Amino acid sequence: MTAFAVPTSWIFWAQEQAVELDRGLAVRWGLWLVVGFLAVFPGIVAYMVLLERKAAARFQDRIGPNRVGPLGLLQPIADALKLLTKEDLVPRGADALVHLAAPVLVIVSAFLMLAVIPFAVGMAPVDLPSGVLYLIAASSLSPLGVFLAGWSSRNKYSLLGAMRAVAQLVSYEIPQVLSVIPIVLWGGGLSLVAIFDKQADYGWFIASPPGLLAFLILLVASIAELNRAPFDIPEAESEIVAGFHTEYSGMRFSLFFLAEYLSVFAVGCLATALFLGGGMPIPFARFPLNLLDGSLARLVVVDLILLAVFAAKVFSFVLLMIWIRATLLRLRVDRLMNFAWKYLTPLAIVNILVAGIWYECVIRPGALTLGRWLGGTLVTGPMVAGLVWLAFWVNRREWAGEAAGPGRPSLEGARPDWETPGQTGASPQRAH
Amino acid sequence: MARILFLVIAGVGLTSALSTVLSRNLVRAAVSLAGFFFTVACLFILLEAEFLAALQVLIYVGAVSILLMFGIMLTRGVQGTDLVSGPSAARLPGIVVGLVVFAVLGYAIFEEKGLRTQYSWGALDERTAIARGSKEPGSPLRSAVNNMGKVVGVELMTRYVIAFELAGLLLTAALVGAVAVAHREEDETRSTGSGVPPEKPEPTADKPNP
Repeated sequence: MTAFAVPTSWIFWAQEQAVELDRGLAVRWGLWLVVGFLAVFPGIVAYMVLLERKAAARFQDRIGPNRVGPLGLLQPIADALKLLTKEDLVPRGADALVHLAAPVLVIVSAFLMLAVIPFAVGMAPVDLPSGVLYLIAASSLSPLGVFLAGWSSRNKYSLLGAMRAVAQLVSYEIPQVLSVIPIVLWGGGLSLVAIFDKQADYGWFIASPPGLLAFLILLVASIAELNRAPFDIPEAESEIVAGFHTEYSGMRFSLFFLAEYLSVFAVGCLATALFLGGGMPIPFARFPLNLLDGSLARLVVVDLILLAVFAAKVFSFVLLMIWIRATLLRLRVDRLMNFAWKYLTPLAIVNILVAGIWYECVIRPGALTLGRWLGGTLVTGPMVAGLVWLAFWVNRREWAGEAAGPGRPSLEGARPDWETPGQTGASPQRAH
Repeated sequence: MARILFLVIAGVGLTSALSTVLSRNLVRAAVSLAGFFFTVACLFILLEAEFLAALQVLIYVGAVSILLMFGIMLTRGVQGTDLVSGPSAARLPGIVVGLVVFAVLGYAIFEEKGLRTQYSWGALDERTAIARGSKEPGSPLRSAVNNMGKVVGVELMTRYVIAFELAGLLLTAALVGAVAVAHREEDETRSTGSGVPPEKPEPTADKPNP
């Protein structure tokens, strides 16, 4: 064959597709797209905003929005109308195209994450064989959008916010991804449906010492990924106005807003599906699944139970995040980075080894028994506790040793000039 | 359906690749590059390799282009005209090198014979689609399509283990080198400012007291 012989049939054109889009699948995907992604999820997000405002108001001893409709329940609609009618401003120096594309990228990333969550039996929008990897890939799109938003605005606050945001997102992505690896190990695959099935057999994955540690790491890293307090230094309003979305107004700003709450919802769904056993109400029982016998009525009942429990778990997760946000103070930048790189990442890496031990103790031998579970807990529990203690001990020691270093901000530097101890007699307060 | 999709994706990919090369603004070029990586992921999807597509998005769009942005932000004035690069003297050699690389790759792909058990790209008429025969349960092609993560992992740990370990070694060396380069400056400042706070009153000595 000569070089560059044009093949008679092109590579892609000659190929048959293995996944055939039959009519039923197309209808299902269309329904998910229209009902789920255009109606239900944005509605949930709108009321999550209201929930956050109400709950935060309770935490801060206020009442919260209560003017529009009974108990303020129509407030999201009023907010949406207000945002829609606002003027859409683009700064004169901005890169208009990138300025337009950035919020779209962020919200697409948030929507894509929801596409593989198994809400109930047969109710995953798409069951990808490599769903967990897909989730990580989809969530890794958002730093790009955040950076582009900050860069294209031609505003120093936007740019500062974007740099902070990207540094934080990239750092916390690592422990987030590493904390999911034990789940992949135990689930025996990357498919979220397979992971759900494994949790039906072996109990919720959070009900094990390494699983609990992984869940906590995922929780902290997710809060940081979402730029929520106490990790909201990219949008610290007392320092850099609003961070990367300073120059956004009207509907474009609301896209960022929607994306943030959509991501909170998506992370809640993710944590529920990966760690909290999906929609199963009892940790070590196959309770609603054993009712299935192939009939449609049973399936509907089981799915309703699963959906309700799933929603309750996601609700508690979201409430936990609101609670954390309303309670904790903002972290300083260096502590933020230290926490990601010196605490979470090493813990997440070593936790994978402990997860392997748990796998050998509990999952590989076969069916779950109380004895195996107790044995696994007795073996891995002290290891996890010791690891956490070790991480904190090492870091505390290092911190204490460095505290006197010249580069670290301390109260010494904050003292006014006239109080400098070298000048005797000049400081009225310090005259001994 | 797949043909139209392929044409659309290929068109978008070529456009973004061209705009990567031709764009005069560095950040826009980086954005176009990210778009190009994304279209490559779309092509992987068309080839029913969604594991590779997810990896492509994760590594190239999520990490490499972010690193590019970081590089641009940390090395130049970000928002000025510094980002605009003019016509470069290396344009003609660049075009020649690009075409030569393209020719070599094209030759290699079309002349590739493959192992005895594998299908060759050159023999297109004999090559079955990835998916053919994937309908029967238990066929290796089916497992390759349905559980590509596992298959890729097994291959990496068996046949390609040496290349895999070498790549890991290289990356570790790069990581250690990067840490060494980044750490030296801090060490020097710390050693000059040895331990206890240096003479603090000096900068304040010439200031008038209230």
